[in-house]
Amino acid sequence: MRACRRCHILTDKTTCPYCGEPTSEHWQGYLVVVKPEESIIAEKMKIKMPGKYALKVR
Amino acid sequence: MMETKIFVVKTQVGQEENVANMFEKAAKRIDNKIVAVLAPKELRGYIFVEGYDIDVIKKLIRHMKYAKDVLEKDVKIEEIEHFLFPPSAVANIEEGMIVELVSGPFKGEKAKVTRIDDAKEEITVELLDSMVPIPITVRGEQVRVLKKKEDE
Repeated sequence: MRACRRCHILTDKTTCPYCGEPTSEHWQGYLVVVKPEESIIAEKMKIKMPGKYALKVR
Repeated sequence: MMETKIFVVKTQVGQEENVANMFEKAAKRIDNKIVAVLAPKELRGYIFVEGYDIDVIKKLIRHMKYAKDVLEKDVKIEEIEHFLFPPSAVANIEEGMIVELVSGPFKGEKAKVTRIDDAKEEITVELLDSMVPIPITVRGEQVRVLKKKEDE
């Protein structure tokens, strides 16, 4: 899995399918967001879309 | 709308992401009563599950191979906020500092920091015991700071 350098979403692609930024294979921490509109964690992370995210991307 | 709570679930060490994925799958089955799952890298054997009802989580982990237990007391978002924004591995390192390499082929060697790459979280060091100064680039996590500056 790779993580987008900007939005941190996890994907298999080398460019992020959502924001077009290059992705990196160096990432740490794992966050699964199911319902962003109800989650305090998603709100803190400014995540609006359900999905799997990395906490830190190098 | 009811406020969510963040619960701490004990997992088998190394299976944190697996359990997080199991919760995601389960969430869809149970009408999304789980809203998010967090597995910070620093925390081994525990994950945070954000949901509404501890009993729902208790019921779910009964069927999860790698999930062991859920703590009775929930945690506040303020208590786990630092996991959401992990600091850079080179945040406390400055040029001129003396560090010890803690992993890799030069493990145990002392070195002086000559350059820091914030974006890549890498540092370039020169080994102190080396006859000729050869620059070596290592990841920020691979060193431990011994002295602030060489002359201090």
